[in-house]
Amino acid sequence: MRKVLIYTALLVVTLFSVGPFIWMLSTSLKPASQVLTSTPSLWPHPIEWSNYAAAWTSAPFGRYFLNSLFISGVETLFDLTLGAMAAYAFARLEFAGKRTLFLALLATLMVPGELLLIPNYITVAKLHWMSTYQGIIVPWLVSVFTIFLMRQFFLSMPGELFEAAQMDGLNPVRTLFQIVMPLTKPVWITAGLIKFIGSWNSFLWVVVVSNSQNLDTVPVGLMNFTSDVGTEYNQLMAAATFCMVPLAIVFLIGQRYFIEGIARSGIR
Amino acid sequence: MTLKARRTITAYLMLFPTLILLAVFTLYPIVESFVISFFRWDMISPHKQFVGLRNYVQIFQDPLFHRAVANTILFVALYVPIVMALGLGVALLLNAKIRLRGFFRTAIFLPYVTSIAATGIIWQWIFNDQFGLLNDLLRQIGIQGPDWLNTPQDTMICLVTLSVWQSLGYVSVLFLAGLQNISREYYEAARVDGAHGWNLFRHVTWPLLSPTTFFVLLISTIEAFKVFLPVYVLYGATDGPNDSGLTMLYYMFTEGFSDYRMGYASASAYILFVIILACTLLQMTLQRRVHYES
Repeated sequence: MRKVLIYTALLVVTLFSVGPFIWMLSTSLKPASQVLTSTPSLWPHPIEWSNYAAAWTSAPFGRYFLNSLFISGVETLFDLTLGAMAAYAFARLEFAGKRTLFLALLATLMVPGELLLIPNYITVAKLHWMSTYQGIIVPWLVSVFTIFLMRQFFLSMPGELFEAAQMDGLNPVRTLFQIVMPLTKPVWITAGLIKFIGSWNSFLWVVVVSNSQNLDTVPVGLMNFTSDVGTEYNQLMAAATFCMVPLAIVFLIGQRYFIEGIARSGIR
Repeated sequence: MTLKARRTITAYLMLFPTLILLAVFTLYPIVESFVISFFRWDMISPHKQFVGLRNYVQIFQDPLFHRAVANTILFVALYVPIVMALGLGVALLLNAKIRLRGFFRTAIFLPYVTSIAATGIIWQWIFNDQFGLLNDLLRQIGIQGPDWLNTPQDTMICLVTLSVWQSLGYVSVLFLAGLQNISREYYEAARVDGAHGWNLFRHVTWPLLSPTTFFVLLISTIEAFKVFLPVYVLYGATDGPNDSGLTMLYYMFTEGFSDYRMGYASASAYILFVIILACTLLQMTLQRRVHYES
């Protein structure tokens, strides 16, 4: 009896969470006559696949996807490489000023990113990086979150490993990438997924620093598409679907790493 | 060169790119936005006019800012308790001995990883007054739903619904991690003493979960004070009917990126920052007190 209640409650919550996506899929496959009706049905009849083609061709979505892939890819690559090096230094090297620097890093976590919006906008303008890839990408190449996540992981590894590497004459950079990295794949996947998904979804910064459609990412392109199409909800939902599906697949494949990484950030 | 000096050089070489980037795009902006909050500057003219505290004075006198503060506080007051209560409830359900835990967890988490640009459109469609799903469901139980997105009184309902829907999975996962962190031994000991059901929750789970609860409370409050994107996507880059969705961050955004009053916008950003900082400090003090007492 208790089990039944638990499953029922979970099903209700799941329906609340997933329902809007089901409604999106349903609408995206409906002919126009079935969309604007006050007695909507969940099942599209007939199934109108052409909504997808119509939505895809009415804005340069291919370009948006390439932009998003490039921007998120570069940000993730740099974030992992630079973040791992910084994390390694904090976890495994003794040096002057370590404590102070680490506290400063901690303090930046207290600052809301939105406070940085205006001054960073001014900086990018001064660098003449408005409406350029570097203007969109460079401010987000490192994230303190990645450094903390990796540092925790590196700290928990046995010290003998690092002593052995040092005895073999490996410098810290080679130790990190040749010895530590293959042994710590999960944390790289976790950090990479969190950065990639976060970067893919962030769109306020792109809206602010770019006014060129050629640089628009998927979320920005989708927003603009919304204001162009107006009330053709079947096409809007088709666009929303193909914009979210690739990332949803990435999430579903890596969800264990992703969710556990997020969960770990709560346990201090 | 001593070994210590060499080690320090190696470490700084590894830290160098990170430190440069953080200095330019995180540390410097914190100072820079404080400085320009005392100036009047439109980004075009080469000259910045020093105005002292006038930006701050003007903001505090602006009725629109009062509106933004009131809306933001209302949002925080609605969103934080709802998302925390539901999140804890879902976490307790997921922590029970059930099959398909992974499936439920992933499904509930999905909205959190989906771009709000996409989910905003979906909810716009759900809230549509004539053809939307919500009013259709209401009609089936005999209620004529309002024009959700064009009625100022309903703006907060829409914003809180979208935000709770989006963050529920995240909050649940944080609570679930906290629950799984509580050692089984406590429960067993309490059961031996005859505790079960509500008593078990009240005297074992709730006190032992309090570090997680405080963490979630802090994170959700900060996020709620910074609410912006739900307004932006749900109301098509406007602040809702009759400014009913104007939040503090929306106010900053308009001043900065529509009117290009950079000093003024920075001042409003700093006010928000100070409020968030005050919340953080307040909650940290409270948390310390709770811990000493238990």
